[in-house]
Amino acid sequence: MTNCESIRELIGSWLDGELNSAESDSVRAHVAGCPACGELRRQLEKLHLALKDDLTAEATRLEFMPFWRAVQQRITQKRAWHEDLRDWCRDFFTAPRIAWSVPVAIALVLALVSLEAYVPGWRSGGARNNFAAVDSIDAYGHSVALLRENESRTTVIWLYQDQEGENEAAEDTKTSGPAF
Amino acid sequence: MEQSDRELVKQCQGGEMSAFQELVSRYHQKVYSVSLGLLRNREDALEAAQETFFRAYRKINSFQGGSSFYTWIYRIAVNISIDTQRRQKRNPLDFRASMDGVLEAQNEVAKDPFADVHDRELREQLTQAINELTPDHKAVIVLRTIEGMSYKDISQVLGCSEGTVMSRLHYARKKLQDKLSVFL
Repeated sequence: MTNCESIRELIGSWLDGELNSAESDSVRAHVAGCPACGELRRQLEKLHLALKDDLTAEATRLEFMPFWRAVQQRITQKRAWHEDLRDWCRDFFTAPRIAWSVPVAIALVLALVSLEAYVPGWRSGGARNNFAAVDSIDAYGHSVALLRENESRTTVIWLYQDQEGENEAAEDTKTSGPAF
Repeated sequence: MEQSDRELVKQCQGGEMSAFQELVSRYHQKVYSVSLGLLRNREDALEAAQETFFRAYRKINSFQGGSSFYTWIYRIAVNISIDTQRRQKRNPLDFRASMDGVLEAQNEVAKDPFADVHDRELREQLTQAINELTPDHKAVIVLRTIEGMSYKDISQVLGCSEGTVMSRLHYARKKLQDKLSVFL
């Protein structure tokens, strides 16, 4: 039965003459001895004839001269610019080109994003990058400030005593003083 | 002695309109068949076939001869027909109505009166079954049936591999066979 399944997939190609000789021999031998696959062959042949009749019968009645005159008319008459543009777009934006454009667009975006890592400051046209990050830590009235500058890769550590901390320290001294 | 397509194309590229006329006379019925098979509408198929030759004329200088003229012209015809079909998106009733004339005309020339009823029903069902195929499946069936084109030529026309042509044909035939099992 499995053999029938695999042979059935090949019967159409066999009738089309598209199989190699080994495959053809195999299909021919099977179809000759299998009534079900023989029936499928008969149905496919009948389907082909019905299709051919359906598709070609109408065309044989198409007269040449009126057809040719209509084609000539198209060739000689001037087309509107938007029709030409539409034709150009149709020719240009073919399916393979559209399919390729998606990965190309993604690659371009990734390249632009990663370019910053290799060419710092390219987005600002070479102007100096003034971006700096400052982190500060409070510690009993003393502060530490970190100033990092990416372009020159410089870090400045700044120790200072802020006013608020100083006042708090003074108040602590004041309040604790009279206790003695 | 009849000139080959390649010779006619060369003359065409040199500006000889009579050579192009000869090419049109050779292929107009086949191109019309392909369009009719895909569009299932006489007027649309005629329009698509005329547009096919118009575009072929405009692009004839870009035809390098890498493929045969007939695969080239069929490629244009299939692209125009599929494009037309996608744009119009006719409903099934329009399809049926537009093919009625074709079916009647075919019955007028039927030689065996006893087979008329059966044949007519078969054609109606065939039309409906073909309409239910996707444009890609329709295209392989039409190209294979009308011209008896090889899988290689069909793959050139449709821009896909021979394996894809083979599987599309298998699938399309299976669908048609399922729909028409009563008549086959």
